[in-house]
Order: sequence, then structure tokens, then C-alpha cells
Amino acid sequence: MWNYLVRRLLLGVLTLWLVTFLVYGLIRSMPGDPTLVRMERMAPGKTIRSEDLAQMRKIYGLDKPWPVAYWAWLSNVVRFNLGNSFSRYQPVTEVISERIAPTLLLSGTSLLLGYLLAVPMGLYATARGGRLDERTLSISLYMLYSLPAFVAALFLQMIFAVKLQGTGFELPLDGMTSRGFANLSTLGKAWDLFRHALLPTLCLTYGTLAYDTRFIQANMQEVLRQDYIRTARAKGVSRFNVIVHHAFRNTLIPFVTMLGLELPFVLSGAIILEQIFTWPGMGRLFFEAISEYDYPTIMGLMLLFSILTLLGQLLADILYAVVDPRVTYS
Amino acid sequence: MSSVPTVPPLVDEIAAPAAKSRGFWAEAWLRFRRRKLAMTALLFVGFLAMVGIFAPAIVGTKPLVCKYKGKIYFPALGYFVSDWENAYLRTQVRLIYPLNLHAKDPDSWAIYPLVYQDPFRRVKDNEWGTRPGNPSGAEGSPDRQNFFGTTDSGFDVFAIMVHATRTAMLVGFVSMGIAGFIGIVLGSLAGYFRGPVDSVISRIIEVVLCIPTLVLILALVSVLERPTIWHTMAIIGCTRWTSIARLARAEFLKLRESEFVMSARALGVRSGRIIFRHVLPNALAPILVPITFGIADAILIESALSYLGFGPPPPNPSWGDLLSQGRANMQMWWLILFPGLAIFLTVLAYNLIGEGLQEATDPRLREAAK
Repeated sequence: MWNYLVRRLLLGVLTLWLVTFLVYGLIRSMPGDPTLVRMERMAPGKTIRSEDLAQMRKIYGLDKPWPVAYWAWLSNVVRFNLGNSFSRYQPVTEVISERIAPTLLLSGTSLLLGYLLAVPMGLYATARGGRLDERTLSISLYMLYSLPAFVAALFLQMIFAVKLQGTGFELPLDGMTSRGFANLSTLGKAWDLFRHALLPTLCLTYGTLAYDTRFIQANMQEVLRQDYIRTARAKGVSRFNVIVHHAFRNTLIPFVTMLGLELPFVLSGAIILEQIFTWPGMGRLFFEAISEYDYPTIMGLMLLFSILTLLGQLLADILYAVVDPRVTYS
Repeated sequence: MSSVPTVPPLVDEIAAPAAKSRGFWAEAWLRFRRRKLAMTALLFVGFLAMVGIFAPAIVGTKPLVCKYKGKIYFPALGYFVSDWENAYLRTQVRLIYPLNLHAKDPDSWAIYPLVYQDPFRRVKDNEWGTRPGNPSGAEGSPDRQNFFGTTDSGFDVFAIMVHATRTAMLVGFVSMGIAGFIGIVLGSLAGYFRGPVDSVISRIIEVVLCIPTLVLILALVSVLERPTIWHTMAIIGCTRWTSIARLARAEFLKLRESEFVMSARALGVRSGRIIFRHVLPNALAPILVPITFGIADAILIESALSYLGFGPPPPNPSWGDLLSQGRANMQMWWLILFPGLAIFLTVLAYNLIGEGLQEATDPRLREAAK
């Protein structure tokens, strides 16, 4: 087991190195110049002296060719220093950590809600297989699964923020808080946050919910054909117990694997939705960083996303061995 | 030896004309046809493809065929490639064919598309008979003249949607063509040769998988100075091949141990021939499934990119671009409803086809269905 873990971690480090190297090269070849953007911001309308520009390029490490600059970046990263943001006058770690909480609020709620609903819905669909209510549920879930989240977001915004404007059902169009948020009472703050988070969470949840429910149902159908289920039925175990205790426990293996693979989704899953709802999270930060040519922030985010993906894969494999005693890594 | 079982003579069976058993694909097609939803989806995609191909004949302001000063022209082809519209004719009529063609040459004639509207410009007053020009802004709600309404600047939404169908279909097929090619080649090499080749290719797959697709695509798109729709397709194709490669690899790992591959190798067949002539046809069915789902994904990604403003610059009719105009003008519901529905239905259709294909070709699921 330890052998396996160490090998996987080493491979992971290699992958990370490759990813960051390639991405660094990629963003350095983006058209546009971060120093010009920053100068324009500091002193709008002023003509920029070329000496100033050269000095600024030197400070940012843009005067060196990108493979050299990459090594400088890497040697800082292994010392846990992601550098300073070009456009925000702050260390990248601070910029990113400010954005983690809003994203977690969305994706954490959504994942939790998804699992809490998907398991009972999947089991219900299995138990009622072939009947009218199951068919309705399955078909509507399938439709939802094919409905792109950004289209749903627009439909919902159109209905709740525009058509229902002025009624009690009106929901805010975008943003995370209202303007007078700081003056609200604690309860008022929570209510305000809830109203803002409702639509984005809904859009983020329904897709995974539909997918997970179908996943559970498909696995259950496979398990229910096994001989030991027939045996359990034959000896008189109740239908409920067969489904929950005998069958569902055995579908946990693929389910748990999926948990690990959905881990990166926690931070990067809401990229489009955050942009649509102008939610101040990681996905929006990524958009902003790209449009501001903020190389250190882009690299920091990429690093974070990649680490999370690799950790998720590793976690999936480990959980797999934990849940299924037949699997060993030796 | 009195109770000899009456065995029918073997010769008869051989002599009887054996009905040729159906091949794998014929069998799969039969099974696919039985699924009503999947067939409906297939017909819908066929319909969309037709709309895409014949878009200039359905809606446009350029005649399909016209005769001008004794020569025959096909100006509508300009909707496919702008150079295919005759340059001389273009300077003569200055965009507005019905008025200028007749004014400059009374003997000219022209056959126009079914609906006189344009995806790239606003139709003005009295351009087409005495019909008033397109309304703009919030007044452009759907009516008899503009079936799906008009955009903020007065372009006809129906025309844009019809012409955008071509974009969507192209994006799906071209990007998945690229992804399928990369995925199949890399996956089959990894699965067939194993060893160091496999390790290298698996690392590449892992690197691509490591970055969230949309993040990677956004980074790639922002590198381009002037992205065209072809760039978008290439980028989607170059990032969405991993699942195809992994499946191809798994299939090849399995098939390379089978008897027919061993006998081919024993006969001295070259590796390239074994891979492409012997193994690949047998591995194709499971690989086709993620390709079909990939088409749905590609269409979704393209419209999302256009929606976010990372798509090709205008003039480029795109469902996602319409949506982003709708986002800016929330009161104009028709800018959101129609393209939203189009994206939804197309994605749904491809998903249904993919699932039908999966159930028609996967022997495991076939057993289950019995």
C-alpha cells in the first residue's frame, strides 16, 4: 500500500510539473502585455517611458524568456510562495484565499444537496422500476441532465429577476450580497445571502443530481440481477431491506469512486455559473485574471485545480480499496 | 448396436443454403432502430444537418440563382464562404439585391430564399416589396415578419438561428473528428505496444485530464489573437480526446491478447496493419459512444464560449452569442428562449443517440435487456 502511494505521489508530482510548465508557456504567449495594462491603470492616458516599461518588465520577470522565468516561478512555489498578483497589489495566496469561501458556499452546498437527494431518488427509482412515476422521474432527470447549466441559469434569471420583478418571488439577478449588506442584522445577512445563492446553487445542483441519480439507478439494476439478491428475496427479506441493505451497500463501490473524482468540481465546477451570476468565487477570479493578464494568479489557480484533480483521483483509488476488501495495492 | 440414435446426415446441413448471419453493425442497427427515442433523436439531428446545409436557401437576402446582364450567378453561396459571392456582382448591387438588381438591369431575374431576412444585417424599409424594416430593441418581439423576433440592433433572430445551426453542426463533427483521431491513435498505440509507449501516452492523458476542460480551453482561446470558429473547433478537439483515448487503450489491451491478433502476428502481418485493419474495427463500437456524447459536449462548450464572449468575433452566427445578447437585454425573452431551446434539444438528441448506441453495441447491456 505504502509503495503504491509513494509511486502515485511521485507520478503526481511529475504530472504537476508538466502541467505547470506547459501552462506557463501557454500564458506567456498570450497576446497583450501585463505591464501596459498595469501602467494604463496606474496613470491613465499618460505616455509610458520605455525605461519605466523595461524596469517594470524586470520586476515582473517578463524580460527573461519563459523557460527561465518558469524556473524562477517554480523555485518560489516549492518555497510556498506563489508570487504577487500583477493587477491586485496582493500576494496570490491572499487573492485566491479570499475567493475560496464564496465558491465553497456554492459548490459545497450543491454537492451535499446532490448526494442527499440522489441516493433516495435513485433508490426510489429502482424500487418503482417501470411504473409511471419512475418513468416520469427518469425522463425528467434525463432532460435536466441535457439542459446546459448556463441556459437554465438564463431562463431562471429571466423568470425570477425580470418577469417576477416587484412580486414576492423576486430574486436578485446576480452578485452575492445586496448593496446595504453590511448594515443588515445577522438574520438579515443570512436571508440576503440565501436569496442570492438560491439560483446559482440550483443551477449547479440539478445536473449532478440527475447524473448521480441515474448512476445509482444503473448500478442498482446491475446488482439486483445477482444471485444473492434472489436468495435474500427467497428467504423472505422485505423489499425495503433487500434494496437498502443487500443491494445498495454493494453499489457503494462505484459510488465512492465517483466521490473522489468529483472533488476538483468543488473549486472549479462553477466557472461559467460564477461568471453568469457575477459570484465572487474562484471561477470568476480566473476570468478576471485572464482578462488582466495576471500571470501569477492564473498559474496559482491552475496549480490549485491540478492538485485537487490529482488528489481526487488518488482519493478515489484509496477509497476503492477501503470499500472493497478484494482490492489491494501490493 | 441396435439403438443407434438417428443423427441427421451432416452432408445435408452443409448442402443447405446457409442463411448469411447478420454482421455486428447490422445487428446493432436493428437494435438501435427498436429504440423510438434514439431514432427520433437521430431524425432530429438529420433535420438539423439539413437545416445547416440548406440554411442560405431557407433564409437569406441573397438570391439562390440570379441572371444579371446575361450571366448566371449564385450569390447565396456567399453565406458559406464570402468569396463565393461574385465580387463584381456584389459591388453592383451593394447588398440589396431585390432593389438594385432590377434597377440596373430590367431583364434580370432572381430566385430568393424562402424567407427574406439576413443574419448579418438589418433589413430596412421597402427592401422587399413594401414590407417595413425590422424593428429594433424591445419592440422586436416575435411576429409574422420576424418569427423569432429581432436582436437589439434589428437583426432577424430566426435568420441567425438557422445559420447558426451550421456552426453548431460543424463544431460537433469537426471537433469530435479531431478528438476522435487523436484519441484513437494515441489510445491504440498505448494499448497495443504497452511498455514505455504506454507510460508516455498515459502521462500525456493525465496532464490533459489534470486541468478542468473549460479552464484549459479558456487559456488556449485567450492565446489566440483573432480566434475564428475553426480555432475554437481545433481547441475543443485537442482537449476532449482523453476519454476516447482511455477507452481505445482499454479495448486494445483486451484485444491484443486475442487469438486473431496472435495469428495475424504469427503470419508476419506488420503492426500498423494489425492495429488498423484487425483490431480497430473490433474496438470501434465502444469508442463511438464517447464520441457521440463528445459531440453534445462540443456544441455545449462552443455555445458557452460564445456566450462568455470567448467565441469567434462577429459576424459569426452562434446560438451562444444570441444568448449573451439576451443576457444584456433580459427583457427581450426571445433572445434567450429560442437559442436556449435549440442548444437544449441538440444536446438532448446527441445524448439520446449516444445512449441508444451504447445499448445497441454493448453486449453486457444487451444481455440485461433480455
